[in-house]
Amino acid sequence: MSEPVMRSPLHSFGLASQAKPIDGSSGVWANEIPHIGYISLRGDGRDQAFVSAASKALGIPLPIEPCTLATSESVKVLWLSPDEWMIVSAPGQANALCSRLELALAGVRNQVVDNSGGYTQIFLGGTHALDVLRHVSVYDFESLQPGRVAGTTLGKSSVYAFRQGNGYRLIVRRSFADYIWRYLVRAANPYGLGIADVPVDNLVGTSTASVNVAAG
Amino acid sequence: MFVFFCPHCGENREEEEFGYGGEAFIPRPATPETLNDDAWGDYLFMRKNPKGWHWEMWSHNTGCRKFFVVKRNTATNAIAGSWTLSDGRKAYDAEGGAT
Repeated sequence: MSEPVMRSPLHSFGLASQAKPIDGSSGVWANEIPHIGYISLRGDGRDQAFVSAASKALGIPLPIEPCTLATSESVKVLWLSPDEWMIVSAPGQANALCSRLELALAGVRNQVVDNSGGYTQIFLGGTHALDVLRHVSVYDFESLQPGRVAGTTLGKSSVYAFRQGNGYRLIVRRSFADYIWRYLVRAANPYGLGIADVPVDNLVGTSTASVNVAAG
Repeated sequence: MFVFFCPHCGENREEEEFGYGGEAFIPRPATPETLNDDAWGDYLFMRKNPKGWHWEMWSHNTGCRKFFVVKRNTATNAIAGSWTLSDGRKAYDAEGGAT
């Protein structure tokens, strides 16, 4: 059997080849940030044993405050609900992180699932990014502070959104990625949409060498 | 359009994020196998459907995906508050368990 490969849900749009540095020529800049690790972690946020074991394995305190996220150099931990977190990591790290969590949480009621193939991330920036989000969602994105994460609706689908740098990051389900991308493109039409060369951060800049990424 | 306070997320959110979960705190029969068809039918299908204050469940579908309790006036759509299921149960019982 051949090795599994990762293929971005938006690969057919050929976004990588259209990307250019962000400048003033477009009101909205967007792109997909493909091939990132997503781990679903579940357990009781009120259980001190669970929280401390998970925090130790992650290297940062598990955010138990509603709608907050914690960031370290290698992972982002998003609070999704009182008993669910999403751990965003470099793709090559997801496997090792899963084993580390499973080991640390042995004996505590928990669930750790590698969902890396199930989500993708979209960068949305530019002077009119907020206008686009107002078109597509009911959430008041202007009130979304750095360090907070909002699970809300986006068109007929759902999204986990947070601010990073000068823009927004939208984590969307793989099966809705195509719909959401087309929806965003349409909403951004009045402002002009540029495909952005996404600013490299720790998670994105990490090499995908340890996972097989499909060509094209 | 309603704006609900989600007791889990701790934020006010728009109705579009939520789904209706029906009347809250319907007691499940302790021994369903001993019920006759009328009593079982009542449990499954019959609801209070009041004009006035109504205890109902909503789920935060695109947020935390948790159910919670809302006390809503079906005539005016005024909302008296929202609680987690366990806190809501206490408030419901403190009212005598009726609308």
